[in-house]
Amino acid sequence: MGHVFTIAWKDLRSELRTKESINAAAAFSMVILVLFSFVLDISGDARDFGGGLLWLVFAFAGALVLNRSFAREQSNDCLDALVASPLPGWALFLGKAIANFALLGIVELVALPVFGILFNANWLRFPAWTLLTCALATWGMTVIGTMFSALTVNLRLRELMLPVLVYPMLIPVLMAAMQLTTALLVGEGITAEDWIWVKLLIGFDIIFTSLSLALIDFILVS
Amino acid sequence: MKNKILMAVALASGLYLVRNLYVILLQLPDEAAQGAIYRIMYFHVPGWITSFSAYFLAGLASVWYLIKRDPRADEYAVALTEVGTIFTMLGLATGMVWARIIWGVWWVWDPRLTWAFICFLIYAGYLMLRKTIDEPGQRGRIAAVVSIFAFVSVIITYKSIDWWRTQHPGAVLSFRAGEQRMDPAMEGMLFHNWFALTAFAGVIMMLRLGQERMQRELDALRRYTHSL
Amino acid sequence: MDQRNFLYMFYGFAAAWFLLAAYLLTLVSRESKLRKEVDNLKRMLEEREKKG
Repeated sequence: MGHVFTIAWKDLRSELRTKESINAAAAFSMVILVLFSFVLDISGDARDFGGGLLWLVFAFAGALVLNRSFAREQSNDCLDALVASPLPGWALFLGKAIANFALLGIVELVALPVFGILFNANWLRFPAWTLLTCALATWGMTVIGTMFSALTVNLRLRELMLPVLVYPMLIPVLMAAMQLTTALLVGEGITAEDWIWVKLLIGFDIIFTSLSLALIDFILVS
Repeated sequence: MKNKILMAVALASGLYLVRNLYVILLQLPDEAAQGAIYRIMYFHVPGWITSFSAYFLAGLASVWYLIKRDPRADEYAVALTEVGTIFTMLGLATGMVWARIIWGVWWVWDPRLTWAFICFLIYAGYLMLRKTIDEPGQRGRIAAVVSIFAFVSVIITYKSIDWWRTQHPGAVLSFRAGEQRMDPAMEGMLFHNWFALTAFAGVIMMLRLGQERMQRELDALRRYTHSL
Repeated sequence: MDQRNFLYMFYGFAAAWFLLAAYLLTLVSRESKLRKEVDNLKRMLEEREKKG
C-alpha cells in the first residue's frame, strides 16, 4: 500500500510543479463553457441541461489530464524503468489513478463555481449528494481514463484511438452523473426513481476498478 | 474435408433460412396489435441473441488468450467480434424499421436503444484499434483487455429492460420472461430462426477466422522478405 | 396504413438479408485478395531462392 501513495505523490508533485495539464484542462473547460453558452439559449437559470453540460465539460477537460497519465512517463524511458522495478502493476495503476483523481478534483473545484456564476446554478441545494455524485463519477472517469491511457501508451496512433475508445466506455458514468446532477440542480434531489443511477455509478466504479487492477499486469510488460 | 463441412453447413443454414422465411411470411398470421410489421421480430430478436453470444464467446476467447497466450484464441476473438458487430448492425437496422411504424420515428433515446448503440460504438472501436497495432503480441494483449471491458456494456444492454422503464418491448421468450407471453407457434418460429441465424453466423465466423490466419501468414511472410 | 405496415416489414427483411449478403461478399472478395497476395509473395521468395 505504501507504494501506491509513493506513486500518487510522485505524480501529483511532478504535475503541480509544472501545472502543465491541469492549467490546460482548467482553461479548456472555461472555453467549452463559453462555447456552450453560444449554442444553447440560456437566459437566466441553468435548466434541465445544466447537469449534462457540466459533465461534458468535465469529460472533455478531464481527458487532457488523463491522457497524459502514462504518456508523460515515456520521456527518458521512465515507463520501462517503472515496469521493470519490483513495484507490482496494480500498485502503479492505483497510485496513478489516485493522483489523477486528485487532479480532476482540482479542475472540478475551479470549474464548478464558474459554472454556477455563468449559468446561475446553485450547487449548495444538496451539498452532500452533490459531493458524492462528483466523487463517484470522477472516480469512474479516472479509472477508465487511466486504464486506457496505459493501454494506448505505446500505440502509433494514440491520439486517434484514445477518444474513440474512451468516450463510449465513459457514457454510462456520464449518463448517470448527468441525470443525478440535473436532479440535484433543478429537481427535488435524489428521489426513488434516481436510485438506479446511484447504483449504476457504484456498480460501474466497483466493476471497472477490479477489472483494471486484475488486468493491468497484462498491459504493462516491458 | 474441413471446407466441405463448412460448405455443407452454409448450404443447410441457407436453406433453413429460406424455409423459415416461407413459414414466417405465408403460414403465420399477422399479429393482432401490430399487424404485419411484427414479423421483424423474427430477425431482430435472434439477431441480437446471436450478436451477444458472439461477444460473449469473444470475451471468453480474450480471457483464454490472456491466460495462455495462444494466438489461436486471439484469432477467434477477432472473428467472433466482427461477426457480432455485423449482427449488431442487423439488430439496429431491423429495430429502426420496426420503430418507424410502431413509434412513428426511426430512433428514440430510450435506455435500451441507447445502450445497444453504445455497444456498437465500443465494439467498432475495438475493431478499429486492432487495425492500428502491427505487433501481434501487443495487439492481442490490448485487444483482449478492451474486449473484456466492452462486455460489461453488453450485460447492461441485456438487463436494461429490467432496470429502466423503457419504451422497448420487454422480454418475449418464455425462459427469460418467466411465463408464456406469445403464441407457441410464434415463439417456436423465433427459435427456428435463431438456430438458422446462429448456424449462418458460425459459417461466416469460420470464413473470417480462415482469413485472419491467412493474414497472419501474409504478415509473417512480409516480415521474412523484409529481413532478407 | 396497413399497406405501409406491410411495406416496412419488407424493408426490414431486406435490410437484414442485405447486410448479411453484403458482409458475405466482402468476405469473399477479401479472401481472393489475400490469396493472391500470399501467392505473389511466395513466388517472389522462390525466385529469389533460385537465384541465390
